[in-house]
Amino acid sequence: MVRRERRDGDGMISRVRTEQVAYRYPQNNHGLAPISLSVGPGERLLVTGPSGCGKSTLARCLTGLIPHLYHGTLQGEVWLGDQRTSVAFLWRLAERAGIVFQNPAAQMLAHSVEEEIVFGLENLGLPREIIAERLEATLSRFGLEAMRDRSPQTLSGGEQQKLALAAIIARQPPVLVLDEPLSMLDSTAADELVAHLADLADSGTTVIACEHREEYLQALPGLRTLRLEGMTPSETQVPALHEHSGGQPAHRLEVEGLSVSLGGQPVLRDLSFSLDSGQVVAIVGRNGVGKTTLLRSLAGLQKHEGSVRMNGSWPDLGLVFQNADLQLFNATVRDEILFRVPEPDMALYEWLLAALGLARYEQSPPLLLSEGEKKRVALATVLMRRPRHGILLDEPSLGQDAVHKAMLIRLARSLAGSGRLVILTTHDLPLAAQADHLALLGPAGFVTSGPPAGVLGDDAAWARLGLSVPPWVSTVGDSS
Amino acid sequence: MIRLGTAGKTRNLALVEDSPLRRADPRTKLALSLCASLAVMLSLEKLVIFMGLYVLLLLWAKLLPEAARQVWRLKWVLLVLFAVDWIFVSLDLAVIITLRLILLAGAFSLFFGTTTPSELRLALEWLRIPYRYAFSISLAFQSVGLLDDEWRTIREAQRARGAWSQPTGWRDVAARVRDLVALAVPAVVLTTKHAWAMTEAAYARGFDSPHRQPYRRLAMGRLDWLLLAATLAVAATLVLWR
Repeated sequence: MVRRERRDGDGMISRVRTEQVAYRYPQNNHGLAPISLSVGPGERLLVTGPSGCGKSTLARCLTGLIPHLYHGTLQGEVWLGDQRTSVAFLWRLAERAGIVFQNPAAQMLAHSVEEEIVFGLENLGLPREIIAERLEATLSRFGLEAMRDRSPQTLSGGEQQKLALAAIIARQPPVLVLDEPLSMLDSTAADELVAHLADLADSGTTVIACEHREEYLQALPGLRTLRLEGMTPSETQVPALHEHSGGQPAHRLEVEGLSVSLGGQPVLRDLSFSLDSGQVVAIVGRNGVGKTTLLRSLAGLQKHEGSVRMNGSWPDLGLVFQNADLQLFNATVRDEILFRVPEPDMALYEWLLAALGLARYEQSPPLLLSEGEKKRVALATVLMRRPRHGILLDEPSLGQDAVHKAMLIRLARSLAGSGRLVILTTHDLPLAAQADHLALLGPAGFVTSGPPAGVLGDDAAWARLGLSVPPWVSTVGDSS
Repeated sequence: MIRLGTAGKTRNLALVEDSPLRRADPRTKLALSLCASLAVMLSLEKLVIFMGLYVLLLLWAKLLPEAARQVWRLKWVLLVLFAVDWIFVSLDLAVIITLRLILLAGAFSLFFGTTTPSELRLALEWLRIPYRYAFSISLAFQSVGLLDDEWRTIREAQRARGAWSQPTGWRDVAARVRDLVALAVPAVVLTTKHAWAMTEAAYARGFDSPHRQPYRRLAMGRLDWLLLAATLAVAATLVLWR
């Protein structure tokens, strides 16, 4: 198939071109401010910016999902080669630009890895022999042969993201758009994904990545960066925090012989550790190693063997889930935070709104906020109940930009300062580097733990874990 | 075995891989299941004989434990129906209604315990159901197992934030209603978001293409013809038997 490329005003060939494209969602004021860009064959473009600036919206505009599947207000034009996205058929646009979404598990459509790849190839109308050839080549290129019959739901986050990319790349689109592809990946899986993107760009594919975790993508040679400002002003100041939740006497979390099995498979094995209150502890490990299971066990939600005690009794630790949609259901942010709080401390409420940058959303429906904002509302609902011993945060930086990550770490420090224990699990190494204590969790238990500076420099421990520490991590951590 | 959900709970909703019916054509299995479903119209005497034969088939197909599990899930419905029918109508009716439901649950296990969503889609397409609908039905079938897991996770998440009331009995109806809202809203939101994410993913891979060419094709083997012949013979015998 011959595809004509379009030339921009300077006569350069562009595979993707936008002319003052802007979009506004019908249900809220979020969207994309007017933007023009032109990207040619083999180019690598990083689109970055604060939460809610329109990165995901731009990714959908570039692939034609907007306006074909969304019915807000679109202005300007997007061209994919010689096709204007507003009038071309969506299946034709899908041949020119593939998109990989943020949550790999949510985009799985088939019951096996093989079927997942075949689905997109069937839709190209290729003969069966060609489909078979491309299937084998794709499985081999992405190292998925051994898991070809497995259900995508049984794969780890990194494997799922690799499969999502493989299912798109098998269709050989000249343009690849990625919407926050690294957000759920550990550092090794992120490095692997970036290496795949470099290969694709070298072979002439146009790569456009919309991503918060831009440091990983800086490894792509020749990367251009586009910073979006967004339609609504972002907080640039982290408000000064005041402690309203009262000090706590020193206590110690003691875990002995903690073991958890899921579906007959051991996930945590005989884990024993103790942690003093008054500190922020970050737990890092590969996708699927059991970090979430550990937090669920500490919160009393997971059946387990062994004991979990805080000064001899069951700990009162609030858990904020990775997916905030699980915890929100009220009509306004105010109702959500104050729901079933007996005699609410309104000073604490006001403090939380300010500390988490939620003041302007007080009367907004929580479910219409961005992912990062929803996570902050979920955190506020837990803190409003004043969990006596501390809080557990599962991937708290997911969907948060640098400003809100800074807010988050200051809030965590403030809680620790009041004598509470804050435990967070994360793939975000710059965030982990800012904790007081960093622990590395492997399949057989904790590999090492201690102050972040020492743990980050322990190459042997990271190697045992199968993770890598990018060279920029300690610098970012120190500067924040 | 398919591992589902964030908590990684494993469920036995998946295929019974060692069943001889696993390799049979989905159309054959559809015919077997339909035959079993139609048998609910038989009189009690014939129904008992048919169920005997059906149990033998499930035993041969290594599906008896799966069928038993499905029936066990319905135990309360079966018990209530049996009691109501017996008390208000007759024991005969109570027995026949219960047997019919058990047979339907068994027919469900026979098909869904041995058929993948793609095979289901191919069978539906063979029945001239448009691809768009066949694909949606197979995707819904694939996602059913996730719902239970999602519901449990939401309940845990609400407990974790303290939004779940302490058990005080059914007298505190207003609190119970609020509990249900706390569960229902996230459930609807998650299901809608999941469905939307899958819609986007499907369209991003050319779902609406008019040029689609299926990679897999259905093919009847010797086992399929044998099973179909046996199904026809049993159906004819039961219909013609006076």
